[in-house]
Amino acid sequence: MKRQSVLLSVLLLLALLVSACTSAATPAATPTASPIVMTDGLGRTVTLAQPAQRVVSLAPSNTEILFAVGAGSQVVGRDNFSNYPPEALELPGLGDFMGFSIEQIVALNPDLVLLAEIHPPELVKSLEDAGLTVYYLKNPLAMEEMYPMLITVGEERPTVFYEIDGTDPSKPWTTGSGTFIDTLLEMAKAENVGRAMDSQYGQMSIEALLAADPDFILLGDANFGVTPEQVAARPGWGELTAVKEGRVLPFNDDLASRPGPRLVDGLEELARLLHGVTLP
Amino acid sequence: MKGRTVHPIWIALAALLAALLLSMLVGSVSLSLVDMARVVAARLSGGEIGADLRVADTILFSLRLPRTALVALTGSALAVSGAAYQGLFRNPLADPYLIGVASGAGLGAVIVLSLRWGYDVAGLLAVPLASFSGAVLTVLMVVSLARVGRSLPVTNLLLAGVAVNSFAGALTSFLLLRSTGELRRAIAWLMGGSSMGGWQPVLAVLPYWLIGLGILMTMGHALNVMQFGDEQAQQLGLPVETTRWIIIGVSSLATAAAVSFTGIIGFVGLIVPHLLRLLVGGDYRRLLPLSLLGGAAFLLLADVLARIVMTPQELPVGIITALTGTPFFLWILRRSRSLPYWS
Repeated sequence: MKRQSVLLSVLLLLALLVSACTSAATPAATPTASPIVMTDGLGRTVTLAQPAQRVVSLAPSNTEILFAVGAGSQVVGRDNFSNYPPEALELPGLGDFMGFSIEQIVALNPDLVLLAEIHPPELVKSLEDAGLTVYYLKNPLAMEEMYPMLITVGEERPTVFYEIDGTDPSKPWTTGSGTFIDTLLEMAKAENVGRAMDSQYGQMSIEALLAADPDFILLGDANFGVTPEQVAARPGWGELTAVKEGRVLPFNDDLASRPGPRLVDGLEELARLLHGVTLP
Repeated sequence: MKGRTVHPIWIALAALLAALLLSMLVGSVSLSLVDMARVVAARLSGGEIGADLRVADTILFSLRLPRTALVALTGSALAVSGAAYQGLFRNPLADPYLIGVASGAGLGAVIVLSLRWGYDVAGLLAVPLASFSGAVLTVLMVVSLARVGRSLPVTNLLLAGVAVNSFAGALTSFLLLRSTGELRRAIAWLMGGSSMGGWQPVLAVLPYWLIGLGILMTMGHALNVMQFGDEQAQQLGLPVETTRWIIIGVSSLATAAAVSFTGIIGFVGLIVPHLLRLLVGGDYRRLLPLSLLGGAAFLLLADVLARIVMTPQELPVGIITALTGTPFFLWILRRSRSLPYWS
């Protein structure tokens, strides 16, 4: 237990910032009077006079983490994509990547605005100019460190095609190496056929897909209404082994694309779908 | 003949004032007029701003005021440059982006956005600097491709502009497709949705605006003479080539500076001069100052819309100008068919 996992440190950090839960997991939390000084993901020094009581979270991953550490009641605003847990939906949505309403964020009078790696530095600047305290949380890089126990799952390595967007069935979008989805597949002992591409996200031609003929097709776009039946009806897709043998499976993409606590759920779901293993 | 008609410049000034006021009053948060008045009174008297007014104060003076200023500068720079280019090229389709400002700025911005820049002064200025240099380099390239000796034939400029624009556009699309991270930021930027606030952008644009628009304001007579064609204008004593170089130089610098902070805002430079031509005729001595006022007013109104139509999300203002601008432009086109107001 010497090695502190990345996720745990992220959780600890947020717990310290918002410090709602008086759990034993936060020994570093000093008496409330002294200010909290931390360095954020951009190397900025962030000072809070006291644990944040009114937090605006502008990324779904941060919102999920905040609710997971029991600080949900201190969140006063969210981005439009923060849809989990359901309680988060009751909070006012403040915009999305095309533009946040800085005015409405200011009007909520938050003592902390939590950003993530999806946000540009200009947003940090704009929020700072408006007199707000901003903490920028970088994505954890080494997920293997988070869940060492899961690497032992399964002996066979099935090949998997993970569909992000199949709007154009002749060249669906998928993920290459180095993404969360790819890392999760790797940890679930699966072979991501999208790794044949040299970019993190890209469109793979149906011809390349037929050549790779993966064991499984996971529909990350199932949240947008794509079904295995539709996939089977796409021109050329009927030849795929996964389609013929009924191994085209809907998958909740939110579990795999957000660097939050539900990545664990995503990994468990993958282990169940690909190996039929139920994790403790 | 003059009678009691109000000079159009007063109407344009009134429209601009109304737009400025609206831009300060309207936003995604509605502030009460009383609170706003109290904040302004406290600011003017230099008094302390009460705790209950702090939010209103931040919204009015840290958010809305610098944004209003930047939008007004950008709108006027685009409209005046558009009017000048339409006169220079004697072509109603000319706009400030004709010879490469937008495609070059876009390419520069996307190159930088595809790298990752830290949160420091260099990182924050990287995008505006890259888009400004991209715009200036592209225009220089178009001009050097188009020129024949010391003269700058208009047709050559147009064709070189179209070709270089497509080339830069293709490179931009390629970079976007190859991009791993900052795609959405780049797309928002290309639609005029830059989110950088504060006074620094305003101060950075101001010198180019003052010099560029100051010089363009004196070009009304020259542009009028140029409408007769190059040879006629030359015979009438106008140094045609020099005038052309000056107009291209200052217009490019002013628009490049403006769009480097706001992103690429379309249609303002095209439709504002046309609207004004319909209203007051084609005299450039009137058209240029009216475009200055009208361009600022139009972009301010578009920006107000961009803030409120999808509250709390803010739309890139380029979407609004194009959405309102396209039907408007088509209407002008139809009208100009029945009523040849051009030439």
